[in-house]
Amino acid sequence: MINFRKYPKKLFWRLYYVCLVISLILDFYWLYTHMFHYHFSFQHIPQFFALFGLLGCMLLILIAKGMGFFIVVDEDYYQKRKEESN
Amino acid sequence: MNSWIHPGLVIFLGGFLIPFIPWKRAKQIYFLALPLAGFIIILMTYKGIFGDIPAWPGSLHKWNIPFLQYTLDIGRINKLSILFGFVYVTAAFCMNIYALKVKNDWEHVVAMIYVGSALGAIFSGDLFTLFFSLEIMSWAPFFLLLFRGTKKSRGAAFRYIIWHHVSGLCILTGVLIHLHQTGSIEFTHMPWGWGTKYFGSHLILLGFVINSATTPFHAWLSDTYSEASPSGSVYMTAFTTKTAIFCLITTFSGVPLLMWMGAIQSVFALFLAVLENDGRRLCSYHIISQIGYMVAGIGMGTHMGINGAASHALCHIIYNALLYMGAGCVLVVAGTAKFDRLGGLYKYMPIAFWLYMIGGFSISGFPLFNGFISKAMTIEAAELIQHPVIYLLLEGATVGTFLHTGLKLPWNMWLQGRDEPHPDIKAKLKDSAFNTPKHMLVGMSILAFLCIFLGVYPKILYDMLPYPVEYVPFTVTRVFSITQLFIFSFLGFWLLRKLVKGHPSYVLDTDWPFRVLGEKLMNFCKSSLPAFGDALDQRMMKFSSYVIQKLKSPHIELRMTPLTVGDGVFIILILLSVFLVLNI
Repeated sequence: MINFRKYPKKLFWRLYYVCLVISLILDFYWLYTHMFHYHFSFQHIPQFFALFGLLGCMLLILIAKGMGFFIVVDEDYYQKRKEESN
Repeated sequence: MNSWIHPGLVIFLGGFLIPFIPWKRAKQIYFLALPLAGFIIILMTYKGIFGDIPAWPGSLHKWNIPFLQYTLDIGRINKLSILFGFVYVTAAFCMNIYALKVKNDWEHVVAMIYVGSALGAIFSGDLFTLFFSLEIMSWAPFFLLLFRGTKKSRGAAFRYIIWHHVSGLCILTGVLIHLHQTGSIEFTHMPWGWGTKYFGSHLILLGFVINSATTPFHAWLSDTYSEASPSGSVYMTAFTTKTAIFCLITTFSGVPLLMWMGAIQSVFALFLAVLENDGRRLCSYHIISQIGYMVAGIGMGTHMGINGAASHALCHIIYNALLYMGAGCVLVVAGTAKFDRLGGLYKYMPIAFWLYMIGGFSISGFPLFNGFISKAMTIEAAELIQHPVIYLLLEGATVGTFLHTGLKLPWNMWLQGRDEPHPDIKAKLKDSAFNTPKHMLVGMSILAFLCIFLGVYPKILYDMLPYPVEYVPFTVTRVFSITQLFIFSFLGFWLLRKLVKGHPSYVLDTDWPFRVLGEKLMNFCKSSLPAFGDALDQRMMKFSSYVIQKLKSPHIELRMTPLTVGDGVFIILILLSVFLVLNI
């Protein structure tokens, strides 16, 4: 038995994986038993919110990183511009 | 009992006495008593002591003052203004506790002017009083920024005031055109359309849109809020943008343009937040993103949309002040809020971390936190009007919000997988878990309590909303879908966590063209314009000396022939006939 007080990270990860698996199972079960009251047809896709969360998060980071090539500049960008123009 | 007292005026005028109280403890008690006095007046008003408040949009009118041929309605009380009033004074109380140890008394005075004028705006029933209150309100953050005393904050202060003067001018011009067209100065729902006859409304909307930091006019917020002092920035998070939201609910609910602007804004700000390296700038982008929900709800115009916007504005004031306080604590303790220099602070300030996390869970919309009971209402409003694109944008923004405020910011500031901070920051810390000043933790604790209290007992908020609430937040569908969304967002974050690490950088925003153009204009005024002026001066001098020389010439009398005089008479004749023909 692991001493979780000593290793809180392990406790966190085990709890996380349990929640992840439970959410996957519950989604299938409640979708099958018509527990959900959705308004759009695409919400009825099995594991829609899991996919939306995972892909949405990853896409957000990747697209933003792509935008970063154009809009990320030095920390003192405006100060430097000012000094150069002076 | 009919003699109502304006809570804004009490706080506004009361604030000026702060520097003249000689005893430190009495000064602190007085500083905390001001928002409490406001709270008591608003509570008495809510309880009907000054008269019953009719159902929305009906109002109770107090303090009508004649002005020219109009009547100024300084004390218009309705359900929405009471709701905003309650949250303004409650938030101000917590912010005052947070700012209790600030040594500059005038910072306290300015903060109270800010709160007082914000209350003045939400209790105003006519456009003149509203404009006047908004103008006073725009100066308070200017001074809060100046009081930080850094070169950057001075620049930010001037940029702030320029933006708000532009918005103020738009509102004033719009109000005058509206007055000319309708003859009314009532602060109520404005006519809306795309023709030129709605030009007044367009200008007023533009003014409110700038004030509420709606995309593409949002950049002033992230630029300036992060430059104020830790306590000053906390005040700035609450009042300007939320007052603009109040104005938009009152005047432009149901304008579809706002729905689209809000939904796009809620996602757009998140892309910029991914790249951000400064904790307080990241929080600023989340103010912008959350305002997107409110603006979208207002644009939908349905009862649920309006209720969602109003409740989200209130919950937002509470949790966002908490987030800013958390980031401000790190700035005070570690001396920086930049991600590339932080991490490993958890051991030294765990209470601030957990209080911040309550704000992080709230803004993300976790069930049992206050963000859930308000944000989900706006998302459901988008579902009810059957608008899948708006729905997906707003739901997508929920993912991004959790990614940043629930994961990226706490990870980068307190954790980063390290047990110890950088040596230069560690040198500033005491070797204990209590590095955060106590008064800051007290202010944060009250807000954290409110986040959870409203999250588990939303009825108290729902009962105060303008329209009757038919929304049930805790359904299996809503709770399960949002929980699953967060579980998998975390997975996405963990897989790509190295990409969201901080690097010393600056993210350009939509104010880039304005700042570059402004810079060019300044350069033109500094160098090209004086050179042009000098050249013009020289030419004029040359020309005048040439004329003087010619006049002094002895040959000039010879040239004054009758023929020349005749030419002059001829020209005068032609001019007179033109005047006659044109009948001028």
